[in-house]
Amino acid sequence: MKKYIARRVLISFLTLLVIILILFILMQLLPGSPFNDERLTVEQQTMIMNKYGLNDPLPVQFFRYLQNMLVGDFGKSYTISKDTDVAILLQNRLPISLALGGISIVLGAAIGLFLGVFSALKHNTVWDSVSTFITVLGVSIPSYVFALGLSYYFGFQLKLFPMLFSPADGTNAYLLPAVALSMTVMATVGRFTRTEMLDVLNSDYIQLVESKGVSGPRLVITHAMRNASISILTVLGPLVVSLMTGSLVVEKIFSIPGIGQLMVQAIQSNDYNIIISLAFVYSALYIGVMLVVDILYGVLDPRIRLAKGGSNG
Amino acid sequence: MIKNKRLSLLVTGFASMMVLAACGGANSDGAAEDVAADETAGGVLNVQVDVEVATMDPQMATDGTSFEVIANTIEGLYTLDESGVAVPSLAEKTDVSEDGLTYTFTLKDATWSNGTPVTADDFVYAWQRLADPDTASEYYYIMGIAGVVNADEISAGEKDPEELGVTAIDEKTLEVKLNHPVPFFESLMAFPSFFPMNQAFFEEAGENYGTSADTLIANGAFEITSYEPAATTIELEKNPDYFDAENVSLDGIKYQVIKDTQQAMLSYQNGDLDVVTLAGEQVDLFKDDPEFQTIQAGYLWYISPNTKVPGLENANLRKALGQAFDKEYIAETVLKDGSNAADYMIPEGLAVDPEGVDFRETTGTYLEFDPAAAQEALELAKEELGKDSFTFTMIIEDTESSINVAQVLKSQIEENLDGVTVEIEQMPKKTRLDRMNVGDYELALTRWGPDYADPMTYADMFLTDSGNNKGFWSNAKYDELVNSSLDGELSLDPEARWTALQEAESIILEDAGILPVYQKGNAVMVKSNVTGVDFHTVGVSRIVKNAVKE
Repeated sequence: MKKYIARRVLISFLTLLVIILILFILMQLLPGSPFNDERLTVEQQTMIMNKYGLNDPLPVQFFRYLQNMLVGDFGKSYTISKDTDVAILLQNRLPISLALGGISIVLGAAIGLFLGVFSALKHNTVWDSVSTFITVLGVSIPSYVFALGLSYYFGFQLKLFPMLFSPADGTNAYLLPAVALSMTVMATVGRFTRTEMLDVLNSDYIQLVESKGVSGPRLVITHAMRNASISILTVLGPLVVSLMTGSLVVEKIFSIPGIGQLMVQAIQSNDYNIIISLAFVYSALYIGVMLVVDILYGVLDPRIRLAKGGSNG
Repeated sequence: MIKNKRLSLLVTGFASMMVLAACGGANSDGAAEDVAADETAGGVLNVQVDVEVATMDPQMATDGTSFEVIANTIEGLYTLDESGVAVPSLAEKTDVSEDGLTYTFTLKDATWSNGTPVTADDFVYAWQRLADPDTASEYYYIMGIAGVVNADEISAGEKDPEELGVTAIDEKTLEVKLNHPVPFFESLMAFPSFFPMNQAFFEEAGENYGTSADTLIANGAFEITSYEPAATTIELEKNPDYFDAENVSLDGIKYQVIKDTQQAMLSYQNGDLDVVTLAGEQVDLFKDDPEFQTIQAGYLWYISPNTKVPGLENANLRKALGQAFDKEYIAETVLKDGSNAADYMIPEGLAVDPEGVDFRETTGTYLEFDPAAAQEALELAKEELGKDSFTFTMIIEDTESSINVAQVLKSQIEENLDGVTVEIEQMPKKTRLDRMNVGDYELALTRWGPDYADPMTYADMFLTDSGNNKGFWSNAKYDELVNSSLDGELSLDPEARWTALQEAESIILEDAGILPVYQKGNAVMVKSNVTGVDFHTVGVSRIVKNAVKE
């Protein structure tokens, strides 16, 4: 298992390197430059590009960037926050996106699991239809619509929660955006759980367990859910990453200083170092979450663990 | 569209009620905290901006939001009064030599927030830093526009920054030497690029200057108490040591970045904001509200014809194009945000003549919408060019307003001119600028905003050798008039210079060197209990330090 993890970490690291290289090449294809403002003459642009080393050959820029990154220097922002270390921007904004994503995942997954299990247990009853209806709504309505609705009713009309995000409001500030973001998670997890649970509950081994006299919560949690959780985990992995990396629209609606908006702004203004750093963070998160998911598979299902352990000697 | 939005709100309302049911009213004590916060907000002005501050370094800043926030915290030699005229701020006394080449400023007693006095050296340091090519400020050329001795040579790397024509005679006396008289020099002094900087503080903070409230210095009406790079909330508090503190009524200012215009408006109605900017589609809903106002911005939107493209070298064809669209319709029906039809190049409210009269009131209008005259010009062009039909591609940026305006331009030009077709090509602004820089376009819908309160900020763009003359339009008489007004004989005679600039405008527009469309306006809402928020067409576009909130 340790060897397996070590190999996976090494592969992840190489993947990240390749991603950075590809990004570097792609960015050369972005139209414009950070400094092609209408006020600047070509000479002025060249001068400013020289200051940041943007006129150097691509390999030079690439290796300089890698070298700096190893010591935690992600370069400076060119336009969004002039001459500020990108590391500072990440430091300020990443925790907010991670916290918001984290809350929405936990919230969404918890409610989704509950709804899914509940519908499976109450299969073909009114309760099943109601919870299916809720999950269908969650899947089909985009999160920004929820965000607008929540902000309008609970922020503007009822004034229960702040309409705009402010770190001073603490958890209160996270609540509406987190609920809006969690809808997709809730719906996806809910639907998968229901299907999987129905499958598992009808399987032979559950019937065997039942015939042995196991019932109630123990049957559902220890026996049925454990088996259903493998496929739920598979859908949850990518959802975790997409939520943690920030949502452009929800951030925009609640004025949240997260990394979703930062990425879009950076692309629009050719703020290269921000684009690369964020893409790096996205990739690292994705690879990291996938690794955790793979390890969790083994924890949840000893058959997977054994197979991998076996192949690695 | 609005109906759809309402419908979706209803649907989400229903959905979100279910969500609340599901959450079981997770957090109910939030309401009490909010109400308490509102009651203590007495003397704080809440202002919406739609983009984050890019930098708090006055010598590096280039965008409106950065300028606005900086101008609350740092005072320069001059500031703008409510009508946009430059009035002394830190300058106690200004002496101008008879030839207009030497300015001697005596400074008021003022202190920086670190307790040190504001001195002439602070200006020398900031100005040298701006001109220094190593600083690589995007606004460094403005030192050359101000005509300061050696500015251009320093920028070109031919001279050291220490040779800039600015000297601290003593602690309170600043002397500036100019190459030629600059009639708008005092107005430039209200521009943040020329604001002073405390060398000791700045160098001690080093790379970290402006990364937090602690690494920012102030000598102005407010101090920043909460800030981080690209912050969405910025809080300022009245600076008790500001030299004019007795005339500052606000206890503080809070800037809130809100990019979604609907949310901004809801926050305004909710009482969270005192000043908000509206999007075009919101204007109809609020235009009868007593708190609604439109303000003139300095930006001129125009079509740039590339005179190297076959057909567009013909003045009659350009004139036909320039008169074939209804600018008033575009401004009042399409944009609806307070924009005005522009039958001119020099915007309204930009500059006043030596007698204090607005440039626009001293001169005529050109290229008015006139389908008959347009068609007439087109017939002449057809004869001269020996061609009956023309197709041009117009490049535009992919913003909503540009797209809407371009569609009207296309349909009206095609309707009013027989045989002319306009194709529209949309692209990101950065691409449009790239294409224009290399002359790879036929027609371009573009804009220019003024850097200083003088017609020259537009006029010098269209000199034959100007880097901003993207369409390669050229006229010897125009070049002569503008060059002489810039730094030649005419620059010595304000009245003759003014007449020359009027003539220059008539030359370029009668030859349809550019085809003006509209002067941008902004629709804003300001709460009725707030007065003294000033909007300007040039320099710092919104000044709130004199605002009073009752």
